[in-house]
Amino acid sequence: MLNRTEFVKAVFLSATTLVLPLTTHAEWQRSYVIEWNEPAMYFAGESGIEGPGSDCPQGVNPELEWVEVLIRAGYTREEAEWLRNPANPSRNPSHGQNQMAFRGKDRANVYVNPTSYPDPGLVPMTGNVAEGLNLDGNTDTGLVSPTGEPGIDNTFYQTLGCWKTYRGPERLSSGAMQFNDGMRNGSWTMVIVVSGEGSDPANDSNVMVGFYMSQDNMVKGGDGNISPHYTYRIQPHAKYEGLFPARTVDGVIESREPAHVMLRDPGYTRDLELLQAQIKLEMKDDGTLRGYVGGYRPWLPVYQGWVNARGPVIESLTWVELPAVYYALSRGADYHPEGNRDEKTHISYALRVDALPAFVMTPDASEVATRVVSYKDQAPALPADSGPMVGRSRIIDGLVIDPNAEFQAGPNAVILPPR
Amino acid sequence: MKSARLFVLTTAIGLGLSAALCSHAVSANDSVNDNDDSSLVVAVRRLTEPQYRQSIADVFGDTIQISGRFEPERRELGLQALGSATLSLTAAGFEQYFTLAQDISRQVLSEQQRATSTPCTPASVSSFDQDCAAQFINHYGELLFRRPLSTAELDARLAAAASGTQQSGDFYTGLQLALSSLLAAPEYLFRIERAEPDPANADGWRLDAYSRASRLSFLFWNSAPDAELLAAAASGELLTNEGLQSQIARLSESPRVQEGIQAFLIDMMQIDGFDNMVKESSIYPKFNQLVADSAEQQMIRTLVDLLVVKERDYREIFTSNETFLNRPLAAIYQVPFASSEEWAPYTFPESAERSGIFSQIGFLSLYAHPGTSSPTIRGIKLHEIFLCEHTPEPPADVDFSAVVDSDAATSRERLLDHMSNPGCIVCHQRSDPPGLALEHFDGLGQLRKFENGQLIDVTADLFGNKFVGAQGLGKFLYNDPRASSCLVRNVYAYGAARMPGSAERTYINTQIEQFAGNGYRVPALFSQIARTPEFFKVVLPQGVAKNASSAPDTARAQSQQQGE
Repeated sequence: MLNRTEFVKAVFLSATTLVLPLTTHAEWQRSYVIEWNEPAMYFAGESGIEGPGSDCPQGVNPELEWVEVLIRAGYTREEAEWLRNPANPSRNPSHGQNQMAFRGKDRANVYVNPTSYPDPGLVPMTGNVAEGLNLDGNTDTGLVSPTGEPGIDNTFYQTLGCWKTYRGPERLSSGAMQFNDGMRNGSWTMVIVVSGEGSDPANDSNVMVGFYMSQDNMVKGGDGNISPHYTYRIQPHAKYEGLFPARTVDGVIESREPAHVMLRDPGYTRDLELLQAQIKLEMKDDGTLRGYVGGYRPWLPVYQGWVNARGPVIESLTWVELPAVYYALSRGADYHPEGNRDEKTHISYALRVDALPAFVMTPDASEVATRVVSYKDQAPALPADSGPMVGRSRIIDGLVIDPNAEFQAGPNAVILPPR
Repeated sequence: MKSARLFVLTTAIGLGLSAALCSHAVSANDSVNDNDDSSLVVAVRRLTEPQYRQSIADVFGDTIQISGRFEPERRELGLQALGSATLSLTAAGFEQYFTLAQDISRQVLSEQQRATSTPCTPASVSSFDQDCAAQFINHYGELLFRRPLSTAELDARLAAAASGTQQSGDFYTGLQLALSSLLAAPEYLFRIERAEPDPANADGWRLDAYSRASRLSFLFWNSAPDAELLAAAASGELLTNEGLQSQIARLSESPRVQEGIQAFLIDMMQIDGFDNMVKESSIYPKFNQLVADSAEQQMIRTLVDLLVVKERDYREIFTSNETFLNRPLAAIYQVPFASSEEWAPYTFPESAERSGIFSQIGFLSLYAHPGTSSPTIRGIKLHEIFLCEHTPEPPADVDFSAVVDSDAATSRERLLDHMSNPGCIVCHQRSDPPGLALEHFDGLGQLRKFENGQLIDVTADLFGNKFVGAQGLGKFLYNDPRASSCLVRNVYAYGAARMPGSAERTYINTQIEQFAGNGYRVPALFSQIARTPEFFKVVLPQGVAKNASSAPDTARAQSQQQGE
């Protein structure tokens, strides 16, 4: 007689694993919907969400004294205090304080000209434990995984791991909650299809893994969690798709060779382009999938993503000066594409993925997607880039500019009100 | 000032009708057609919410919005159709109907609608036009009351319309008052069936033509008679066999028959209660109201498709695995939803262990506890719905502790504890076996094989009839003659508002044989029963003399006594 665990395993196998006819390429298939994904930021805090720990002994970067920041940037104390005064009519709460952008050399906009401003620095991350993947195959470099595996390449974590927005246990950092809430509430859906040619899904040397977009929203159950076993149609997308040649070893999917993929980023950047991308995903007994997608992502779009989310707002809410992020990413960059040996344009990165068993269908919904293939040639053309937006507001140089406003920020703006 | 006077008038009409309703519910004989005082009321049935809604849509068009709460229905002997024959209205319920009446009248006579809804144009909008008002009231009065208005009924509405026009200075406001009074009248809210002396049978009674029209219309279309059927009643055609057969053929061949049979199936299969279904979210996190609504829809779609659209053997409702799914249901059944439409046909594979309507989420979740399955409730409902076998309520002093406190892992073991009580075993030995056969489905209807780590046994023995699982139960019910017998009796009871008695055993047996001879096709059964004289048989209320010559006096005397 099966025990309960064995039975649960059997049910999930029958529910989400399809044994395919011999005429198809794949012998088995499993499919999932990503119910949570966030940058793999190991948390060694002793307590709470932001507390200090072996990785961030000083805790998160502290809230800034913005009056002092502005004074250091060349504003008089009277000007700085007026700029931070809630009574200042230019402090539209939806726009933030636009004049804060102009604190670079000669009052340059620090968001688009971060090097016009001296590096304010970030609270350093000092730990040597990190989640992620060994991207370069070198066990002598990088960090050590929580389970002791050496060679973990995740400089992104090393660079930004003590920033308030990324800091926290799994699913509890403010950034992870913000973007995953959006995803779970219907902003976007990504599904995963795994297919193999062998007879044993747990140990198969020829596996393909596909990450696709879906137009079908996830559904929350009565307990507030995403419900498994819903059906999702693949939505061909001209940009967001990732195909990984892989193998399975004892139920763990590992990359056979690196890939170049573009996924939907759970962050302001939106584009998660990964070079030398790899996966390590465990098909768990309860039918779920959990693990990492790693690779080298271009770091400048990450910085620009934060700027285009309205620089003054991000700085106020997340307690950093954005130029510090620019400098940190620039310093942390550890990869460049082949043929470009002068400048490190990419940074090693890992995305932690939690996925639920789901039924993934071909784009026309006529059948279960049994093979991992590209659907990009079926995708409609991407809409013309209208530039960064937040809601209905267009972002220009990290700012929302109201052309009808009485007070306009800028290098030559009159700061103090007339007496 | 005008609006204040109008409010007083409107309220007065409402209160007057409310008072009238109380007396009419028991003495509707007073509203008899003033040309014929020899008839008597033999049945009064309150319109169900779907019948109310459909009637309004048929009379005024489906653009009329009906927003309001309805009085709760009552089920008797398994049918709301029987319960409706015992219902009156509460004061609060009448207020709801009165508010609905005002709202509907306002929409019907709005500036945008009045050109199409009014059969005439008044001489002046600001003054009362008696002829136009009479046309309007007579037209809608006949459609709503399902018979022509009496002179007194017309005069009362004309007076209301005239007074309303005078006080508001607007003819259409006056009409609104008249229409409100029609819509709030017991003659609309209740199907009042009347009998008249049968000229072909001295001292006998026959259902009058308009009552026949309503009985047919609500059976086949679940709505009020249309103009053609009313005309057939007016001409006396419905009192002739030829005319009756002709109208039955017309009604049964209309696409609208699907609505009528669907209403019956919803009633008989007790496909209601999904609005109030509660499940423990920590145990069944996939459950939400959308799932409940979908489960209800799945049952209805499955039954209508199988029995009406495809006209398949009724007994296949116990064995067919053809159904319809939407995305939420597919997630609970743990199957892919291969469609971009909202609903798609689906056939369960053998491995799903499903078998017919009782193995769908709707039945399985409705007849379960919030956090667990319930073999007993499922078994009781299987017997009640499909076999017309009703289980008495448990005795008041029953000791449930044996079940509640049991450490047994599976429902079967817990129920065995329960069965040790000789006071319980009488019912449970009948109710539990079918329910135990469904134990591979949890309280939400999800497939399972284990309960608390222990393999679930789905074998069952119902008085020597042994079967295994839902599929075995389905075959058992398919072959059980009580199932088709139950359906035939329910169709008759649904249409005639009374369960056939022992005196009609031969008649029912004949209908069962014909039903089998017609391949157990439900649409054919509807026509078959409607074509029999027994369908229109008059059963006099208790205490009314059977002799037609003296019965009206008896009834009137009773009414006066009750009115006092």
